[in-house]
Amino acid sequence: MSRIGVFVCHCGENISATVNCEKVAKITGELKGVEFSTDYKYMCSYPGQTLIKEAIKEHKLDGVVVAACSPRMHEPTFRKACAEAGLNPFLCEMSNIREHCSWVHPKDDLTTEKAQDLVRVMVEKVKKNKALNSIKVPVTKTALVIGGGIAGIQAALDIANCGHKVIMVERQPSIGGHMSQLSETFPTLDCSQCILTPRMVEVAQHPNITLHTYSEVESVDGFIGNFKVKIRKRSKSIDEHLCTGCGLCTTKCPQKKIPNEFERGLGFRPAIYVPFPQAVPNKPVIDREHCTYYIKGKCKICEIVCPTKAIRFDQEDEVIDVAVGAIVMATGFDVLKTDYFPEYGYGKYADVIDGLAFERLASASGPTQGEIRRPSDGKIPKKIVFVACAGSRDPAKGIEYCSKICCMYTAKHAMLYKHKVHDGIPYVFYMDIRAGGKNYEEFVRRTIVEDETQYIRGRVSTIYEKNGKLIVKGADTLMGAQPVEIEADMVVLATAGVANHGAEELAQTVHISYDPYKFFAEAHPKLKPVETNTAGIFLAGACQAPKDIPESVAAASGAAVKVAALFSNDELTRDPLVAVVNRSAPPVYSQCVGCFLCQSVCPYQAIEREEIKNRNGEVIKTLARVNEGLCQGCGTCVALCRTKAIDIHGYSNQQVYTEIMALLND
Amino acid sequence: MQEFEPKIVAFVCNWCTYAGADLTGTSRIKYSANVKIIRFPCTGRIDFMILMKAFENGADGIIVSGCHPNDCHYSTGNFHARRRWIVFRNLLNFSGIDTERIQFSWVSAAEGFKWADVVNNTVKKIREIGPYENYNKIAVSTLFKEEGATNE
Amino acid sequence: MSDLIKKVTALLNDKTINAFIGYEKGSADRIRATFIRNEDQAQKLILNASCTQNLAGYLLKHEVKKLGKLGILANVAALRSIMQLASEFQIKDGEVYVLFANADGSLTEFTDFKSIEAFLETTDTGIKSEEQEMIAKLEAMTVNERWLFWNKEFEKCIKCYACRAACPMCYCHRCTTDVNQPQWIPVASHELGNLDYHLMRAMHLAGRCVNCGECATACPMDIPLNLLTYQLISPIKATFGATAGMKADAVYALSTYKPDDKENFII
Ligand SMILES: Cc1cc2nc3c(=O)[nH]c(=O)nc-3n(C[C@H](O)[C@H](O)[C@H](O)COP(=O)(O)OP(=O)(O)OC[C@H]3O[C@@H](n4cnc5c(N)ncnc54)[C@H](O)[C@@H]3O)c2cc1C
Ligand code: SF4
Ligand code: SF4
Ligand code: SF4
Ligand code: SF4
Repeated sequence: MSRIGVFVCHCGENISATVNCEKVAKITGELKGVEFSTDYKYMCSYPGQTLIKEAIKEHKLDGVVVAACSPRMHEPTFRKACAEAGLNPFLCEMSNIREHCSWVHPKDDLTTEKAQDLVRVMVEKVKKNKALNSIKVPVTKTALVIGGGIAGIQAALDIANCGHKVIMVERQPSIGGHMSQLSETFPTLDCSQCILTPRMVEVAQHPNITLHTYSEVESVDGFIGNFKVKIRKRSKSIDEHLCTGCGLCTTKCPQKKIPNEFERGLGFRPAIYVPFPQAVPNKPVIDREHCTYYIKGKCKICEIVCPTKAIRFDQEDEVIDVAVGAIVMATGFDVLKTDYFPEYGYGKYADVIDGLAFERLASASGPTQGEIRRPSDGKIPKKIVFVACAGSRDPAKGIEYCSKICCMYTAKHAMLYKHKVHDGIPYVFYMDIRAGGKNYEEFVRRTIVEDETQYIRGRVSTIYEKNGKLIVKGADTLMGAQPVEIEADMVVLATAGVANHGAEELAQTVHISYDPYKFFAEAHPKLKPVETNTAGIFLAGACQAPKDIPESVAAASGAAVKVAALFSNDELTRDPLVAVVNRSAPPVYSQCVGCFLCQSVCPYQAIEREEIKNRNGEVIKTLARVNEGLCQGCGTCVALCRTKAIDIHGYSNQQVYTEIMALLND
Repeated sequence: MQEFEPKIVAFVCNWCTYAGADLTGTSRIKYSANVKIIRFPCTGRIDFMILMKAFENGADGIIVSGCHPNDCHYSTGNFHARRRWIVFRNLLNFSGIDTERIQFSWVSAAEGFKWADVVNNTVKKIREIGPYENYNKIAVSTLFKEEGATNE
Repeated sequence: MSDLIKKVTALLNDKTINAFIGYEKGSADRIRATFIRNEDQAQKLILNASCTQNLAGYLLKHEVKKLGKLGILANVAALRSIMQLASEFQIKDGEVYVLFANADGSLTEFTDFKSIEAFLETTDTGIKSEEQEMIAKLEAMTVNERWLFWNKEFEKCIKCYACRAACPMCYCHRCTTDVNQPQWIPVASHELGNLDYHLMRAMHLAGRCVNCGECATACPMDIPLNLLTYQLISPIKATFGATAGMKADAVYALSTYKPDDKENFII
């Protein structure tokens, strides 16, 4: 006979507003095997947990059901409380009467009845629960950081400085990410390169960091503490050990007119190139798509001029295997493709550019050495229109959300323009100014007041060219939607920040979830912002949502602490909710017949063969066995095994069967 | 006449649909109280026998839901589940069991609205089809006959 | 003396095999399986048009296995059973000596899986046209009519499990019907227990059934339960490209997947 305790939580009024908690406690208290039942305002609070602990001791409970919020929220809390009271934590289950009941149904009898049903299911289930012991697994104290933007750099340095090894994978030839393209940064206007470059160099030189640029993650297997990762190092066509980075090859390459991605197409680069002068590593790669040798079969000028004979035309991609214990995702963001807005003339008019291109124009190391000159004729524009929310907060054509960084960088652009072109007139079309952040509002104010930027609240409807000017038409909603028309010399679109290309595929490769916009999903929006739903994988920077630099860096340090905390243990304890193949006495040994049809369904190759031998060492039966270190508890094998030889702790045949019975037979 | 209140059991995976249903709750989106959820680690764990047991214990409808293809927390559990459902539906249909009464869906952790829709639409559909009398006839009657024998 | 008897005698005498599974005459003109261990017993072997039983199921029976290295007289269904059992690691290559009875009465010997696979590739392995028609007839019914049809059929079932015993793929040491924690399948042979048993068995045979028809032949109540598993053969082939019992190293259709497996019912 069981001695189950039922604890019904009001969650303040979150549950009790629609569910009669006293009644649930009373009715379920009458179920067979329930020894004690009660309701309480906040079960998860200290007094609530104490109540459970005391009841366990006082009533000698051998099972606990907490009817409260989602187990995804508080199952660990209550299991821990049970353990502290001496009850095996796996004898505690939760009934989700908040997310799955009180919040989704109105206040009526049906809702309370449903809550009772949900509790009854768990009471019956918990009777079939078994006391389980946690499984210990070793931790590989090396972290993988994917993406070498400011977020990845920060995370890698923080982890490395805690004394752990870091492997960084960056798909571009250099680390640095978007920050390396920026001119000066809000709200302080320090030069982006000046604050970033030293950190890039630090990454390259750190004894604990191994950097793989021009590389991508091909596959991830395993689990927290024990990931196995394949990294594809794309061929750079040079021997990095021999190359001294002198750059002679880049000056001699006959291909000179390849649009420079780093300069947002405002400049050109050769086929063998270093993306920008401060690149790390500062060694060139050959862009095979544009290289004359790969296109036509002859050229090899770079090979001829290279003083150290470092060029390798026949170099192939290399796939390396690494073992890591944790992964930090830091793959950043991208800006929305501007061709969504044909009416803005991007791509049609050379002088309609995006924000990143403006950063390059304003950058001292950019194509104009920091002078604001328009792309079409190199003239200094006297009037620039900046269009904020180009794609953001626009469910019809762009994206629904606010990209967050654009208000600030647009203000920065207007300010930089004014600082560089004193007689220039900046206009900003905006929807709202969102300048939450330390010194952000003050920064925008300065742009408006000191730098005399004309802020016009309203959307731009069209942009077209007339007599060498760009005519920007819009409406001023603060002036009763009065039409506005500005003759500009240049237009800068603050295009929305979106998930990086390839983010969805990467999420699938590493097995983490992502939101509808393909940004990586955090485990909890408030309390677990840098964790993902996959244990051991963390988020840093703008791969999670548009973020500015301070936020990206803060998140990166947060993720780094999580990694360091994980690495502070030599072993991890894991939930023992794993599959087992049953064993019985000879001559049957097990219900398993050794068909091994289950073997290939296991995503973790956790099903092994075990040979049962007789005294003479002859194999008399071959059975399946689950390696509990590898099993992640999906249960796919359990559903496949027709003889019911495999079962899984926590979701056993007996447990789920009982749940269905209890749910449908009241 | 009082409206028929169907009994519907939802078998869902922990990582996507269970979390999606949590989000439905957090977003306070309303849905019908007829549906009750049983949590599984993965759709791959959902044995076809579990669905049979639901029908024979009086369910009028069943929802089976998990992560979208490629999004499985265990990477491939839902792919295996999908294959089994394809076969099982064929068998049920051939055996004269109404596959209209089983709604399969992919609901991700971000699809709180979709979960409410899946539930509401299923409830609506089952209300229209009515109680599962064929199954109830054999299930309830036989269970009565040998009460205690099968039910522990 | 028939070729078969000669051949089996030779195999036994030179110890290629220790026992041979073939057919003999039973009571009342019936044909039954026999297990030949010496020259004398070999004289009982017969081979005629009535020898249609799939003998492969015996290969895994404990009492038969005990006899030592086995030879078997196989028809197409038995060859396929052997392939299927091999893919489920129940029979190893070279472990069984196979004599196949051709339509003209001549014998072909198979000593390895490769040659069986090659032979099956060029052989008709489909289900009989009567069975096909029956399936088509059932498929043309409404769901409710089908329910009534099977209800009536299953009503007759006495849960003697002759079907299971006859099925070469039902070699589980402990069938789920005998599992009692939980009792998935009600023990009694009432409508529910019978439905549960037959649906379960059909699912267990989906993608594994080699359409030998032994289950239906064995059934004392004449339930056409083979149709349940036969019906699944073509959708499994069409959707997953898999046919049971054709290759010794085949992957079971339900043990694998393709990311783009087609379905039209998941929303
Ligand atoms: C026009 C503009 C102006 C801005 N101005 C400011 C400013 O003044 N102040 C400020 O605070 N913020 C500013 N920002 C925001 C700033 O750029 C971001 O906050 C910052 O770049 C985010 O850093 P990150 O490392 O998360 O991402 P990113 O900088 O995008 O870096 C991501 C890195 O990951 C790499 N990567 C991507 N996918 C993969 C993959 N699959 N495998 C391996 N590597 C991969 C990328 O190549 C890149 O190196 C501005 C943004 C824009 C668009
Ligand atoms: S556990 Fe089941 S599926 Fe796996 S080998 Fe054993 S009998 Fe076969
Ligand atoms: S439950 Fe089974 S299939 Fe899933 S990980 Fe464990 S052993 Fe593999
Ligand atoms: S019915 Fe299923 S469990 Fe029973 S013997 Fe056949 S295959 Fe095995
Ligand atoms: S042989 Fe016939 S009567 Fe016996 S269990 Fe099978 S179907 Fe039922």
